[in-house]
Amino acid sequence: MSGAPRPVGCVELTVPPLPEYLQVVRAIVGAAAALDDRLRAGRVADVRLVVSEAATNAIRAQAAIREAAPILVSCDLMGDRIVVEVVDHGPGFDPSVLPDLPEAETPERLRHESGLGVSLMHQLADSAVLESGPGGTVVKLTFVVGDA
Amino acid sequence: MADYDVGYTRWSSTVGDVQRLAEGAGDKVQLDVHRYARDTCVVLAVLGELDLAGAPRLRQSVVSETAAGIRHLVLDLTAVDFIDSTGLGVVVGALRRLRAHDAELSLVCPEQRIRRVFEMCDLDRVFTLHGTVDDAVSEIGAR
Repeated sequence: MSGAPRPVGCVELTVPPLPEYLQVVRAIVGAAAALDDRLRAGRVADVRLVVSEAATNAIRAQAAIREAAPILVSCDLMGDRIVVEVVDHGPGFDPSVLPDLPEAETPERLRHESGLGVSLMHQLADSAVLESGPGGTVVKLTFVVGDA
Repeated sequence: MADYDVGYTRWSSTVGDVQRLAEGAGDKVQLDVHRYARDTCVVLAVLGELDLAGAPRLRQSVVSETAAGIRHLVLDLTAVDFIDSTGLGVVVGALRRLRAHDAELSLVCPEQRIRRVFEMCDLDRVFTLHGTVDDAVSEIGAR
């Protein structure tokens, strides 16, 4: 195990549910994750992408019901892992019934301009847990931090 | 945003991004679309971050070009710093819209960090990702 201390701490954001704040969320969460230099360089980009996907879904969910309450975003550096959480107050959805997209080569695929965000979260985070109900959705994305 | 191996430099870069955002410099939407003609094609060079905030600007540009009756559109993503699934959705929508008007779309996407997002969503099987505008225009001319 490396002798260098790992940064531990949490950054929390209260964000208006508006698209123009996505860049702020990405910049701050990415900057917080980058504090742990054991996180491989490319993984910082992954953190930025998945938090953008989760926050985008949160903004869309709240826009659907005209809910103006802020979205909560946190980035928790826990030593051996980084946990990014996005909480919204949207109508909720059933994560188990996300639509399957048609095969990439088929013409039907071009009719689907959305539906890839959750798939990217599962591909890029070491763990992606979505809990959703009528009061909103909590997305918890975990990145394991390896020793350099 | 640059993403470096050296922790201090990487942090400095991201702090610079945050400071720039906090100062509110410029447009709220960090996406620009520059249009120019190249041979028989129209090129839309996209600069900035292609997400939910920037998507409407690119979508509107594509709608305008389609309405004008263009035959070949080249989307140049060389200067795109970030793309997520919403940005990919705009590109997919552009292809569908152009095909509906018997027009063609070519993509220029030399940056690996952007190509990777296409690959993760299997969209590299839908689009040929060209390295340069010259390559994209040459391929269209060779058809």
